[in-house]
Amino acid sequence: MTDTSMELLKGTLDILILKTLSRGALHGYGISRYLREQTRETFDVQEGALYPALRRLEARGLLESRWDSTDTGRQAKFYSLTPDGEAELERGVASWKSYVTAMAQVLGGARA
Amino acid sequence: MKTPGTGPARGRIFGPGVAEDVDRELRFHLELRARELVEEGWEPGEAVREAARLFGDVEGVARACRTITERQIRAERRMGMWDAIRQDVRYGLRTLSRAPEFALIGMLTLGLGIGANTAVFSVVDNVLLAPLPYEESGDIVWMRERNTRGGAMAVAWPNFVDWREQAGSFEALAAYGSGATTVLGAEQPLVARVTWTTADLWSVFRARPAMGRLTGTDDHLSGAEPVGVVSERFWRNELSSAPLGDLFLEVSGVRARIVGVAADGFDFPSGTDVWLPVDEASQGMSRSSHNWDTVARLRPGTALPAATAEMQALTLRLVEGSDDDPEFLATGVVLRTLHEQIVGDARRTLLLLLGAAGLVLLMACTNLASTLLARGATRSRELAVWASLGAERGRIARQLLTESALLALAGTAVGLVIAALVLRGLRALGPESIPRLGEVAIDGTVVAFAVGTAFLTVLVFGLLPARRLSRPDAGAALREGGRGVAADRRAGIWRLLVGGEVSLALVLLVGSGLVVRSFQNLLQEDVGFDAADVTTLALSLSPAKYPTAAEHADWYRRFVDEVRSTPGVSAAGFISSVPLQGDFPNARLELDGDLDKHAVGGYALADAGVFQALDVPLLAGRLFDDRDGPDGAHVAVVSESFAEEYWPGENPIGRSVTGGGMDEFWQDRRFAEVVGVVGDVRFRGLARESEPTVYFPYMQRPSRTQYSAYVVVETAGEVGALAPALRATLARMDPDVPPRITPLEESVRASVAPQRFTMMLLGGFAALALALAGAGIYGVVSYQVAQRTREMGIRLALGGSPSSVRRMVVGQSLTVVALGLGVGVSAVLLGGGVMGALLHGVAPTDPVSLTLAVVVLAGAAALAAWIPAARGTRVDPMVTMRAE
Repeated sequence: MTDTSMELLKGTLDILILKTLSRGALHGYGISRYLREQTRETFDVQEGALYPALRRLEARGLLESRWDSTDTGRQAKFYSLTPDGEAELERGVASWKSYVTAMAQVLGGARA
Repeated sequence: MKTPGTGPARGRIFGPGVAEDVDRELRFHLELRARELVEEGWEPGEAVREAARLFGDVEGVARACRTITERQIRAERRMGMWDAIRQDVRYGLRTLSRAPEFALIGMLTLGLGIGANTAVFSVVDNVLLAPLPYEESGDIVWMRERNTRGGAMAVAWPNFVDWREQAGSFEALAAYGSGATTVLGAEQPLVARVTWTTADLWSVFRARPAMGRLTGTDDHLSGAEPVGVVSERFWRNELSSAPLGDLFLEVSGVRARIVGVAADGFDFPSGTDVWLPVDEASQGMSRSSHNWDTVARLRPGTALPAATAEMQALTLRLVEGSDDDPEFLATGVVLRTLHEQIVGDARRTLLLLLGAAGLVLLMACTNLASTLLARGATRSRELAVWASLGAERGRIARQLLTESALLALAGTAVGLVIAALVLRGLRALGPESIPRLGEVAIDGTVVAFAVGTAFLTVLVFGLLPARRLSRPDAGAALREGGRGVAADRRAGIWRLLVGGEVSLALVLLVGSGLVVRSFQNLLQEDVGFDAADVTTLALSLSPAKYPTAAEHADWYRRFVDEVRSTPGVSAAGFISSVPLQGDFPNARLELDGDLDKHAVGGYALADAGVFQALDVPLLAGRLFDDRDGPDGAHVAVVSESFAEEYWPGENPIGRSVTGGGMDEFWQDRRFAEVVGVVGDVRFRGLARESEPTVYFPYMQRPSRTQYSAYVVVETAGEVGALAPALRATLARMDPDVPPRITPLEESVRASVAPQRFTMMLLGGFAALALALAGAGIYGVVSYQVAQRTREMGIRLALGGSPSSVRRMVVGQSLTVVALGLGVGVSAVLLGGGVMGALLHGVAPTDPVSLTLAVVVLAGAAALAAWIPAARGTRVDPMVTMRAE
């Protein structure tokens, strides 16, 4: 953990998961590791929180899952995006971008 | 990383359970995380602990995961079920529409059964079972005195007064008397139903006024201002809802201020328009003069038998030591709940109709069952194909269930429509003898019952084919197309169903035949008069305008003279009771100048004209004439049966008779000389034997003309033109007398309305039963023929003639029909007695009705069996054999 770690904003984890899976099917540990590497542990989040989020997304029909073999021959549960999930990702990314732009404008303006 | 396969995650449902799924997934994470830490240089044991710490609350996460997934599975299952039902319904509708004949017959059969039952039971429920619309109405009782013959008779005033003072069983006790009387003060003179009552009536019913006040004890004192209460209906229709306060009605010469309107729905005695207080002080004190009816409210907790016992003892004590003729003193009381009193005779008729409707429902269900069985058999092949293609048994059963439910639903809808129509008809045609018929609405309970029965039938017999598939030889059905052992068993059930149906139909046919015969007998009764071209006028004069009986009689004499001179009138006369109307007093008379020589006879005032108008034959002596005025020697005419009963084998002319207690010559026992004998006339109703009757000239003994007066008119031609002429004459002589004109034939028809009602309904049920039985037999034989085409083809190919094959098929069906008829006949012979009381001049086991029913039913059955059999044998044998 670094000093810059911060609490993950509500709903952000969902988008991160969808984004991660947009590259292809992956099991929970894989997603967790990828997120850690990509964010360089910016977010202070317990690794376990990932799993309920995965199942909620699956229940909403955004993900689907299946047990399959990993490269090392172990059985793992793989998640992948459904078409609904892909659409949701697009929407989420768009709204995040406008959110971020708005925040940047306000914060940047205040400093100036 | 690309994973092979992208299909849905079925492993979750059919693979490991949810808990294991979650455990494996989390364990996988923890293991790989720990290995990663070891690679970073952690101690293996420390690495495992660190992996768990980084993960967080393992057990909490697992629980959350399980909950989410379980909820998802449940939601998916629900969705799946709805999808399946939708699919079943779609398929079911398609299947039914492919067999429209079957669907239509099933729907109609069910609809008729449900409809008839719902309608009739709704009537029964409302009339017989529903409590009267009064508070705690079960505590309201009706009471009369018991006469020497054990029957009920009206109550003597002093007995009522003593009852009211001494009886402990009642919270309130009221005396009332009711009659149709001329009422003035409304928009026009009219005849209204007026009830004179003691103030307790309102307490007995716990009645409240809709407006103003009800009458109280003070209103009953002599000298109190005359007041009255009117019904809501009368106030609205006849008084144009005029404000109270300055509203007066004149009844019998008394001008009463209307102080209140009874709440809508208060209707006791039934049909009352105006309630007036009884002047308690001026009532006669004889215990043998019976003029009142009484109703009472039992004290809470008092049972009817206890009240009866108390009143019985009390009444005997009251009449003890009375000097009056014991023949006319109470021997106790007749006490029953008001509900029972009101429902009375309608009960038997309605229960009979209910029974008939029940039989129809039973038949409808039987019919449906056999239709469903036949259909199931036809489909057994289709079902067997499904099964062999791997369809689960539950899935097949569900499909059959759906189809059955669809059928039941459609049948119910048809049934409710039929029920509504029948009920509308019943309300319109039902006689007044069935109380409260007008209020009847479709009853929810019975709809539920009938629909439940229908569903049960449909489900049980609709599912039988599925049950057969569960047996190990399901494959056999596929091979043999529904023949063999199963077919034999089915045939057995069928024989039972068809036979049962035939017996039920027979019972209904005999029942309706009996009622029709009984009705014919009734219409053919010799009533003793000819109603053709006769019109009756009911009249009622104001006692204020004509204070004495003599003035009444004189007015009637002048009126009859006027009527007689009207063009087209061939005869007219006065009489104090109209034949068949039932309102006919009788009296204990004295004979032959001897006060100890008694006779009981009907008492009527008349003139010569009335016998001519009614075509009552003069058998001996003469009718009344001008000699028989107020100053002439007193005379009487007796009926044939009176002469035969009291002067058997002797000449009645010249003998003498008194009017008993009926007229003003009672005190001095004035005898009248018998001058003539006329034919017997039925006064009490078509079905009631005429009773010995004495007629007195109304000019000599006018007393009863004040209470009961009719003018009877016979026309030579057009009856239609008479009514306006009569109205004009009446208006000229006294515009305050309301004209009540009724053709006598209409009264005769009205007097048999209850019987006609029963006849029509039972006839309808019997027709329905015949149709159902026919349809049932037709359906079964059609099916059998279809199943046996091959066998019939072989027979025909081997040289059997089509007619012999037809005979065989029809013969087999008729054996079952004959058995059913046998059972039905036995049922009629054993149970026909329940109809006895409803029949007139025909025994419940009447051989004519029985024979006719058997012949009609057997004929219909033969026809229903022959049609499909003929169709089956008309086909080329080679075609039918190849078809298999």
